[in-house]
Amino acid sequence: MTDSTPHSGQIPADGPAVGQDEWVARHAERRLVRGGRLGTVEERLRGVPWWAWLVLFLAVGSLIPAVESSGYVRRVGFDTVVYMLLALGLNVVVGWGGLLDLGYIAFYGIGSYLYAIFDSDKFGIHLPTIVAVPAITIAGAVVGLLVGLPSRRLSGDYLAIVTLFFLELFETVATNGNQIFGHNITGGANGILEVDPLSFFGHALAVQHQGVFAVSYYYVALAIFAVVFVLLRFVNISRTGRAWRSLREDPLAAEVMGMPVNWLKLLSFATGAAVAALTGTIATALSASVFPLNFSPVVLITIYAMVILGGSGSQPGVVLGAISVSVLLQVLQNPSQARVLFYLALLAALVGVYRRSRELGVVLLATVGLGFAAHAVAHAIDRHWTTVVHGGVGGALSHWVVVPERLDSWVGPVSYVALLCAGLGLTTLRSRLVRSAVLVPTLYLAAFVWENVMLPNPGPTRYIVLGGLLVALMIVRPYGLLGERRVEIV
Amino acid sequence: MKKFIGLAFAVAVASVAAGTASGGHRTTAAATSVSCSKTLKIAIVTPLTGGAAFLGQEQLSWAKLAINQLAPQLGLKIQLLQGDTPVEQGATPAQTLAQKYNADSSVVGIIGPSTSGAAAASSKAYFQAGMAHISPSATRTDLTYSVNGQKEGTPAFFRDVPADNVQGPTDAAFMVNTLHVKKVVIFDFQEPYSQGLASAVDSYLKGHNVSTVRLSAPNTTTDYSSYVTKVPGDADVVFFPTQQPPAAQTFAEQLVEQGKKAVVFGGDGSNAPSQFNKPGSYVSNFAPDITGIKADAGIIAAWKKANPGKQVGSFGPPTYGATQILLNAIKIACTKGHGTLKSRADVLHNMKKVQIKNWILGGSFKFSTKTNDPLNAKFYIFKIQSDGSYKLVG
Amino acid sequence: MQTFIQLTVDALTLGSVYALVALGYTLVYGVLKLLNFAHGDVFMVGSFVGYGALQALGGPASPVVPVWLLLVLVTLAAMAGCSVLGVAIERFAYRPLRDAPRIAPLISALGVSFFLSNSMQLLFGAEQRDYKSYNLSNGALYFRGFTIDDVKVPLLRIITVLAAVALMVGLWFLVNRTRTGKAMRATSFDREAAAMMGIDIDRVIVFTFVLGSALAGAAGVMFALRVPTFAAIGFTIGLKGFTAAVIGGIGSIPGAMIGGLLLGAAESYTAGYWTTAWSDLVVFTILILFMIFRPQGLLGRADIRKV
Repeated sequence: MTDSTPHSGQIPADGPAVGQDEWVARHAERRLVRGGRLGTVEERLRGVPWWAWLVLFLAVGSLIPAVESSGYVRRVGFDTVVYMLLALGLNVVVGWGGLLDLGYIAFYGIGSYLYAIFDSDKFGIHLPTIVAVPAITIAGAVVGLLVGLPSRRLSGDYLAIVTLFFLELFETVATNGNQIFGHNITGGANGILEVDPLSFFGHALAVQHQGVFAVSYYYVALAIFAVVFVLLRFVNISRTGRAWRSLREDPLAAEVMGMPVNWLKLLSFATGAAVAALTGTIATALSASVFPLNFSPVVLITIYAMVILGGSGSQPGVVLGAISVSVLLQVLQNPSQARVLFYLALLAALVGVYRRSRELGVVLLATVGLGFAAHAVAHAIDRHWTTVVHGGVGGALSHWVVVPERLDSWVGPVSYVALLCAGLGLTTLRSRLVRSAVLVPTLYLAAFVWENVMLPNPGPTRYIVLGGLLVALMIVRPYGLLGERRVEIV
Repeated sequence: MKKFIGLAFAVAVASVAAGTASGGHRTTAAATSVSCSKTLKIAIVTPLTGGAAFLGQEQLSWAKLAINQLAPQLGLKIQLLQGDTPVEQGATPAQTLAQKYNADSSVVGIIGPSTSGAAAASSKAYFQAGMAHISPSATRTDLTYSVNGQKEGTPAFFRDVPADNVQGPTDAAFMVNTLHVKKVVIFDFQEPYSQGLASAVDSYLKGHNVSTVRLSAPNTTTDYSSYVTKVPGDADVVFFPTQQPPAAQTFAEQLVEQGKKAVVFGGDGSNAPSQFNKPGSYVSNFAPDITGIKADAGIIAAWKKANPGKQVGSFGPPTYGATQILLNAIKIACTKGHGTLKSRADVLHNMKKVQIKNWILGGSFKFSTKTNDPLNAKFYIFKIQSDGSYKLVG
Repeated sequence: MQTFIQLTVDALTLGSVYALVALGYTLVYGVLKLLNFAHGDVFMVGSFVGYGALQALGGPASPVVPVWLLLVLVTLAAMAGCSVLGVAIERFAYRPLRDAPRIAPLISALGVSFFLSNSMQLLFGAEQRDYKSYNLSNGALYFRGFTIDDVKVPLLRIITVLAAVALMVGLWFLVNRTRTGKAMRATSFDREAAAMMGIDIDRVIVFTFVLGSALAGAAGVMFALRVPTFAAIGFTIGLKGFTAAVIGGIGSIPGAMIGGLLLGAAESYTAGYWTTAWSDLVVFTILILFMIFRPQGLLGRADIRKV
């Protein structure tokens, strides 16, 4: 932690809070609660019960399609709810059980494939949704139990490795499932298409009307989310949930206390797997297709990012994480929105570092001035070194950032690496004056790289942002946004 | 600190949510009319990241070039949107993008989806919204033909390259009739493109009493040495339908290294004289050498100028062609509608009217009347000469 | 018999690359108890640096220096580049997290991995890069060599294996025969006790990253001399190297070497004698069974938990 602001609201980061218990950690935090009006508001907000938050969240969620009829927003909404469900399930295994499960996404895949096999023309079987979804959820739990069995012997990193191998195994079977002893079961790399939509009492829910995503799926997903959220919440405050937490904190101590450690591990594994399989069924019913590549490690890493970002162990946390990552990945695909987000984030980071101080104003003014100066100089030397577009934020910016009409191939890598070095170097500087002096050109360089190198390539850029965000967040808040600071007893 | 982060985060999420909401247009787009004098949008849907990004990035560069060159000539203002469908994430991104573009009434056509799986998964949504989508690389046969009673593409799906049911048999017939093969090793890479081609070649060869050996390599394979070992010493040809020319080159070199007599036969995916140039190998492609077509010299020069240091691959030119067809369809629809498009379906209805005289892949272009495939498309076969150049042999 | 010899040659070349990558995992795990998922991407960067160096030296067809020197220089450039990268990753992504919960550095490593592979694609494109080593002095690397029972063992493979062996011997010497190596072993055994004995833990950790990353860089060049490389290759190779490290017993240096060779052999023989489509299935089933019955790996120490 290199934040040098004196009133930074964290327990000193000079090591694990050795020997403190949870009460002490809470107490340290309690002392930091802000006084004044804001503090009172926060106290009040903390007093609101969890179910009220949930109801509010669901209400807002179900209103979105009412004010926004675009199929795109609805579809992104649905995808986000799917991510929320997956994150909730993973949270049971990782956040509560404390087991590192790198094969989690395979259960999502098993749910998807089972639904596709039992509800499509592939084998001519069309189970009604009321039967298929619960049955597949249970099947997911059973497979979870079986895969979890080795966890009786394994712990920590070894479990992670075995589950990762299980994921690879699942992918191989799905990809080659068109030739299992001469039978075509999973459709191989071509997957299974024309999967049935959800149907209730003989009435099928159409996936889309005139090419626009049908909103009913969004509500079905939201309803399932609410049920899963509440059920898991109850599990968490039950005897089992408390046992899980003690298992997570110290498996050895839990065992000594006479807890059925193996059974608890299996249970958490199976619960996560069931949630994943359930999610798989609705996701597959919606997309009407399933392919082996839907379940690749990239998806797994994205879900992990959501859970960790939001704060593993905290249900609202992982939901927040899922929403932010899912929306972020969509927004970064759209250059004009991504541009606004970038400059907002830059500004927020500056405010975060400097607070309301005179330095902030100086740095901002200097950066703006530097930009106009550089732009004028570049324009004077060669008119083609600058481009001016009209309208919007981009138009305003084009008078400030130098955007050459054609970029020589070396400019991109050199400026990118220079920005990286400058940015990383900044974090090691101690003197405020030097830091501010270096910061100004770095900021301008960041704008230059963003406009010239990154924005024209939204594809890789969004994963670069996600990757960088993960690293930065781990450093600033290793417990995630809403996660509770845990005390490690060494 | 904690509170600050929470606050900043909430602000960011809220502003982003607001941005997303205002970004998508409110109406169910199909019914809205657009003026042709305004900027129209078309989108390219292709893998821009992940393992297949090489393909998508190449297609993107050619689509950009086509728009820069052709839109002003046709008197259109076109903005190109980029839709990323990484193959590692399956069909979901393609479907989400379909919703996104369907919802935006100024989007009038789609270039792509590039991969057959993405095309199959999203064609229905595009069709229902009246959106024409033309793929420069999805060659799976059942996208336009009914195979076993199943057809995955809709009437709004077009492609400007012929399907696997043209390329596979052409290649196999050449092996049988010209090379007089006795034994052929057929590769696939556990992804749809190579599996489709491999099966087509396999069944043709089996029907002509050629013995075949099927080898299936997981798509994570990087080193094919042990596969080279499996190639029988008496095999004449290795059919290697990779989408990565350097992989074909390496495989051919490893065959030499292990003293096998078999030669490599690549599909259109490995057509790249600068990267796959092992003398004695064969390559099939949907165009005779485009660098030899006079009308294309200017296009290629412009592309090279915009993409310094890059090589012309085989996925680029059809993308240029697909963009050209789409722009021409828009132009026809605009002319008929006297400067307005009543809906984007106008573009769709005029797709088949497009004819292009100096087609980038040689000759002229026209759609077949029966399916949404190019008319009389055929495949050409090249033999790689000792200096690495491609010579048309069939 | 010929097939067997040929497959063994394949297994050795493949295995020696895996072993070099596995060493990087094992070294870092030994000292930090961290699964460094970004290691595969360091390997990828190494292969790209090597490619750049090769082009800078005149390209494979007309190099400005003799071929042997060219190979050495390219490898050294990749090793140096990767060392710098490794140190930077350690300094900025892992060091601030040294006392965070176990999962934090793991996630940070995944973030670095995303960041590196996509940055490479952003800057240099997604297409495959071929060293075209076949063009080095008219294919000498492919045509020279010796023959066992009609199976040709070309120079390139001999060089790959020998270089890998030389690097491993060098590493063994460094770790077991120098003061720094002793400090590394001490840190790996018990970090706190080592710190109390006056060992500069930060320096040891930086040194570990330098070593591991340099090996990954060398592996990147050796690999890319034979097989094209691309920006997204890090994940696949990283998984292989990681698997090899686990087989051998993560944290054990000789274990990583044996694990790499074993994994190479398993892949090569399964594909050669049995099935290609299901080779992953076979390999991973064996691995899962192995992990269940001997989780500490071949040469790993079984953890004794002190309470």
